[in-house]
Amino acid sequence: MAGRHLGNRIVAVPMAVLALATIYPLMFTANVAMKSRREYILDRFSLTSSLQWDNIVKAWSSVGMARYFANSLLVVSVSVALLLLLGSMAGFALSQLRFRGSKALYLVCIAALLIPFQVIMVPLARVMADAGLIDTYPGLILAYVAQFLPFTIFLMTSYYKGIPAEIVDAARIDGNTTYGVYLRIMLPMGVPALLSVGILDTLFCWNDVLISLLMMPSAENRTLMIGVTSLRGQYSDDIPTFASGVLIAAIPVLMVYLFLQRQIADGVTAGSTKG
Amino acid sequence: MGAGARRASLGARFERHAPYVLVAPAVLIIVALRLWPLLLGVNFSFTGDGERNGSAVGFDNYLELLQDPLFQGSLRNVGLLVLLLPLAVAIPGMLATFIYLRVPGHRVFRSVYFFPAVLSPVIVGAIFNLMLAFDGPLNALLGTVGVGPVDWLGDPDVAMFTVVGVQIWATFGMALVVFLAGFASLDATLLDAARVDGASLARTIWHVIIPSLSRTIQFVFVTTMIGMLTSMFGLLYVMTSGGPEGSTYLPEYYIWIQQGQMNRPALASAASTVLFVIMLVVGLLQISVLRRTGGRT
Repeated sequence: MAGRHLGNRIVAVPMAVLALATIYPLMFTANVAMKSRREYILDRFSLTSSLQWDNIVKAWSSVGMARYFANSLLVVSVSVALLLLLGSMAGFALSQLRFRGSKALYLVCIAALLIPFQVIMVPLARVMADAGLIDTYPGLILAYVAQFLPFTIFLMTSYYKGIPAEIVDAARIDGNTTYGVYLRIMLPMGVPALLSVGILDTLFCWNDVLISLLMMPSAENRTLMIGVTSLRGQYSDDIPTFASGVLIAAIPVLMVYLFLQRQIADGVTAGSTKG
Repeated sequence: MGAGARRASLGARFERHAPYVLVAPAVLIIVALRLWPLLLGVNFSFTGDGERNGSAVGFDNYLELLQDPLFQGSLRNVGLLVLLLPLAVAIPGMLATFIYLRVPGHRVFRSVYFFPAVLSPVIVGAIFNLMLAFDGPLNALLGTVGVGPVDWLGDPDVAMFTVVGVQIWATFGMALVVFLAGFASLDATLLDAARVDGASLARTIWHVIIPSLSRTIQFVFVTTMIGMLTSMFGLLYVMTSGGPEGSTYLPEYYIWIQQGQMNRPALASAASTVLFVIMLVVGLLQISVLRRTGGRT
């Protein structure tokens, strides 16, 4: 026992170093974002002497991060709302209702999990262009919904499977139609799953690069992550402004992580234990 | 028939078809924007680009792919990913083991390690562009012990390892959390028995933990591989743009370049089909491995 404890303590040292190495890059970036350009060039490692919010303000307003931020906020919130609505509708039907073809339809939804976006992006761009949806918000929203719907359905179906059929039967005896059962019973009962799937879908959409790059070619329609990539070329000689832009893009995710860490971890592992 | 009765029968029909009404929007979107494009793309990969647009060209695109040094390089890099895969699984596995054994500070470690996994590859890439700059923090640190400086992103022999290293940094927390979920289902009495028998930590890991977690380990192997094949675009796009000298191409980046920059959608579709086959092989391997172990336990 004593030996194990000693061993544990020794292991804690490299693990602490690794933890530091995990956090340091973000601290470094935050520190740089607070520095003036001159200060950065003179010594990039020293702790910033003053909190220079000027860089953040500059990145937010004149560089256009505010616009990209608003774009992301709009597209992500509509996409996630649609994902949760369509995912819970399908999940309820596929787990609780018996109808002809339900197995096949479930397989269709799940098979799409095996198709990564890279594999379909060329023909998808063509389909979207034919429909006139390239460079439009509805187009990007639709692309996100299509991309993350299979995952959402998978998790909602397995969650709803755990709800006893008696509850649905009782609701029907009370005079509810199938739609009533969905609205009055399944949606409220699904809240825990909707919350954790919703957080993951939000992260997926918010962090996406490739889909947004493909769907939104013009500069004013950029999402926040594409905005960050464009900063690099524009501000390669003004690192503090660049770092500020990165920080602006990272802060919402940081906040989500600080408050909802448990739910994120649970969502990630749900796929591994149920799959 | 009165209006009321007609409305009732319409309502009844609406109710009878309720399951289909509920599933239809999702299925339509998935079929139209995921499954149909897959077929279109495969079909598309046998047609020509540019002047030969739309005409059937047989396997020409695939032959061109095989001869393209950039695509060859991207496949070689896939091979490199496969070689580095055990490392990308073992690191989070070891860390999860120590966290499970309640190393001092395990709660803090758990939340710190998982944190980069929620960041966008773009943000991770941008941060590491700063960290790995020729005169950046990492080279400064190495300089204090008399090593370097290393041109992390500018040396064709180094750049791909750098990007994979960053990818592992950014995603090991994800695998760690999956491992910890696996540990939650581990039979603690086995560990106690090993402890009573005086087994060393190494023997406990080898004889108790690895066999008990085989399903989790396989899951992590496959998801990590899929992650490496399909979620490194953001890093490549921000950190290297495929360079230097095309040394950091992966199939997904090649597809993007051929589609977006070179205006060769049919060639890109052929590359997509190759990537899909690689993914299928990975997926089928998983299923067969799961079957085998499933039969044993």
